[in-house]
Amino acid sequence: MIGKRRETIGNTLMLLPLILLFIAFFIYPLLYVIYTSLFEWNGFTRPDFVGIGNYGNLFRNVVFQTSARNNVVWVFSLGFLQVGLAALAAFILARKPKGWRFLRTVYFLPRVISAVAIALLWQTIYNAEYGALNAILSRIAGYPIRHNWLGSYGTALPAIVVQQVFYIGYFMIIVFASTTTIPRSYYEAAEMDGATTFQQERYITLPMARNTLVTSMTLAMAYGMRHFEPTFLMTGGGPGHSTSVLGLMMYKRIAQTKLGDAAAIGTLLVAIGFTLIMTIRRLLRGETYER
Amino acid sequence: MQKWRSIVLFTVLVLALVPHAFASGRADSEEVVIHWPCIWVGADAKAAVVADLVDAYNAENAGSIRVVIEEMPDYAVYDRKIVAEIASGSPPDFFTLKWNADTRAYYESDILMDFTDELAAGWVPAISRESIAQATIDGRVKVLPYETAITPIWYNTEIFDQAGIADFPATIDEMWGTFEKLKSIGVIPTSQMTGGNNAFTTQMWFSHLVNSIGGPDIWSKPFTDPAFVEAASILKQFFENGNTTADAIGATAGVSSGHYMAGRTAIFSNGPWFIGNIRSNAPDIYSVTAISPAPAAGPYTGSQVGFTLTAFAAANTNDAARRAAILDFIGYLALPENAKAISLESGSLLTPEFTLDAGENMDPLQAEFIKLRDSATFLGRRFDTTVPVSVLDEFGPGIDELVAGRISPEEFVARLEAVR
Amino acid sequence: MNDRLSLGSRGMRRSAVGAAAGLIAKWAYLLFLLGFALIPLLWLLVTSLKTQGEFLTYPLSLPETPRFSNYVTAFQMARLHVLLINSIITASFATVLNLSVTAAAAFVLTRQRVRWAPAVNGVILLGVLIPIISFMVPYLSLVRAIKLYNTRAALILVYAAINLPISYFIVSTFMREIPRSLEEAAVIEGASSFQRLVRVILPLSTAGLLTAGTLCFIYAWNEFAYALLLTSSSAVRTVQLGISFFNTQFRSDYPAMFAAIAVAMVPTVTAYVMLHDRIIGGLTAGAIKG
Repeated sequence: MIGKRRETIGNTLMLLPLILLFIAFFIYPLLYVIYTSLFEWNGFTRPDFVGIGNYGNLFRNVVFQTSARNNVVWVFSLGFLQVGLAALAAFILARKPKGWRFLRTVYFLPRVISAVAIALLWQTIYNAEYGALNAILSRIAGYPIRHNWLGSYGTALPAIVVQQVFYIGYFMIIVFASTTTIPRSYYEAAEMDGATTFQQERYITLPMARNTLVTSMTLAMAYGMRHFEPTFLMTGGGPGHSTSVLGLMMYKRIAQTKLGDAAAIGTLLVAIGFTLIMTIRRLLRGETYER
Repeated sequence: MQKWRSIVLFTVLVLALVPHAFASGRADSEEVVIHWPCIWVGADAKAAVVADLVDAYNAENAGSIRVVIEEMPDYAVYDRKIVAEIASGSPPDFFTLKWNADTRAYYESDILMDFTDELAAGWVPAISRESIAQATIDGRVKVLPYETAITPIWYNTEIFDQAGIADFPATIDEMWGTFEKLKSIGVIPTSQMTGGNNAFTTQMWFSHLVNSIGGPDIWSKPFTDPAFVEAASILKQFFENGNTTADAIGATAGVSSGHYMAGRTAIFSNGPWFIGNIRSNAPDIYSVTAISPAPAAGPYTGSQVGFTLTAFAAANTNDAARRAAILDFIGYLALPENAKAISLESGSLLTPEFTLDAGENMDPLQAEFIKLRDSATFLGRRFDTTVPVSVLDEFGPGIDELVAGRISPEEFVARLEAVR
Repeated sequence: MNDRLSLGSRGMRRSAVGAAAGLIAKWAYLLFLLGFALIPLLWLLVTSLKTQGEFLTYPLSLPETPRFSNYVTAFQMARLHVLLINSIITASFATVLNLSVTAAAAFVLTRQRVRWAPAVNGVILLGVLIPIISFMVPYLSLVRAIKLYNTRAALILVYAAINLPISYFIVSTFMREIPRSLEEAAVIEGASSFQRLVRVILPLSTAGLLTAGTLCFIYAWNEFAYALLLTSSSAVRTVQLGISFFNTQFRSDYPAMFAAIAVAMVPTVTAYVMLHDRIIGGLTAGAIKG
């Protein structure tokens, strides 16, 4: 009896830190954000209750629409493009071509270098006057090219997206790890049956790695919703607000002392992210069950 | 086994660092510690002299007051951070603030220290009463103007000579001709920028144009006034036909001033605080730089954009010793000899009045600034001092859209007005 | 070269052409990714040895004479040692805190009979999906309220907490798969649950802990937004924040700025080059099972 109670106390004590931290850093902030979003408040004078007024204003706001759309672009770019490219590399490397260890190590390298440093570096690469990209293109074209990659409507968002999606290291490692757990005998049997490399990948690797892929995509999409740093550092949301994302818009609202607005954006960010990712997950998972 | 050894080693290492983790830079002791998040650090022209003054102050007040400078080298980040801290209910102990339309909201709360009574009792006598009057709302003073500025047009006389341009253009129409001559010798006429958090250089041009078209009282009118529309449509042309660098859209202050300092552009606009920087980092350009009023775009000529650049502010406190310490430190910075040291070193214009002793020389460019300010027909306002941050945040992006032809000048100003 | 290359296609000409095209495409892709990861970094290093003038006029050329003085400038201005120490402290503590909390809780929820375990489990996992950036305002007010504003402790706490869901996800997957029989011997000996966790379960979950820990450390090392929001003094500033100030600090003296970035990269890149097998091994060991 005493042992049982000690056990319960012990369990509670071990569980408590996580519960407390989770309440403090997830549940409370969520409630706080939802509650604050119902007020017009600058942080230091009395808040005015406005109900869902902040939301109404946001939905009519063009910058909000652009930012939300860009978040969706990020969700898809990271979730499908980045994970797809990573999976492709992982499948190739899993067949252990020459130098695969070296390649795997180098692909992951950008992940251990500061994201801020990488953003500053790429900002300079994309610069119109002395950037490396224009210098290379000018040399190829034979005449000077002065394209403002991060300052033009057509290229700013793609420029940041491209810079991000080809840094595949993280998901490549995860997918690679899962493919190594697939028994070799499957491939040997397929080979006997005359299956091509492509067919083997299509009918063995892909289904076997499906769960890992779905998980990677979920993670990548969650990163897409919280996207902030690269855009903040490289364009600040410009030109116009064409590359803005919800996180950046919220940051600006805080600095405009519009905390109610900022909270409403935060709430919508959670709501949109949740709905979008759960829906996509369900669609991807659904296919798995049918199999 | 080896795995466990490394885990143990790691744990020991981490435990050894525990005391550091909780050290916040805030020492507990009898003395009053004033934390000052400061932009006058690093490569800023005021950095060395401010650091010396603070050291001297700390030595003089050892044991009772200690001022700790928290280095904030990035202007854009600094402004946003200060506001975020005020919004979270606890501004820094002591800091500098930019004056804008949001400042009134701070006056309405108790968040900032009120200087009114001390001023009435004769505190900081060197600071000009005129500038204090400008910071008075409903009889109260909660921010104390310290640095003022005008932002004339800077130009490179050497490049002007090479292009055969005798004088700085007096009107905008003449200016387009000047631009063509500059381009004919392969020089990009102006530095512009729409990035950073205030599109600074471009915003100065906008202010010049508005002041010249609309006169001193224009800023009390709505942005939909024709003066603003005309200014916007002229501003747009600065970005066309190679009149500025290819990277101007989205450029930060560092990029646009960098072009001028590298001699790639011939004209830009900035304040006197930039003198110290260009003097030490681009001496060749510094020695051929002259300043001028902006070319006239309308009936009002010879004005300057003049404003309070930075004002001192402090967190309100009930602690009498802390309050006294902060007042004492501000008083120290406002002493004529200290203001003189900062001003001569950096080129900045400050509100405390001082006189030069024999053998002390003012930087010739700084002297030109004072001459231009004193001879200005009027000091017009600067766009971002007339609006809340939310409007300023639409300026750079608005210019982007204007230049890209996505909105008309009318739509540009209408958008500013809508946010206000 | 490719040990799984299809045997059945041998002799068929069309397949041979296809295989050759596949081979070219494969290597083109691998080399492109390699270039994408390395060339910008090489450009950074080359540029860091140029003069500002050389850089502005010929962005692609090699420096006439390598200018190592850029590195002297970088060291003087960037105060990298402070930044690095702060980042190391913050990331290490966040990782340790995160793993301790996660391991204890995952043990209870996956291996003890707790009635509402599935519910708690589900709620924590949903945390993975929350765009953490949306909590700027509450985190700021929370950190203010517990008097940790502008301390490393604030960042440690926040980073440890933010990574709880993902760490919990990884670690609990591992713990769930440890056979009960291994724990039973300890139960018979009368070991308390804490003792069982430390003696039996933790050693068997090392791979999962390594994976979660590596992820948490990399996250904490690279985090920028909350470092910007929750600290102000240079005494507690992390590397990422420091680097973001280089732009203004170096006044667009790109070579000096690049030198500073290069120096700031040295510790992590060195650590990675030395430990890459372990780091990748760690990530691979805990291959997320989904």
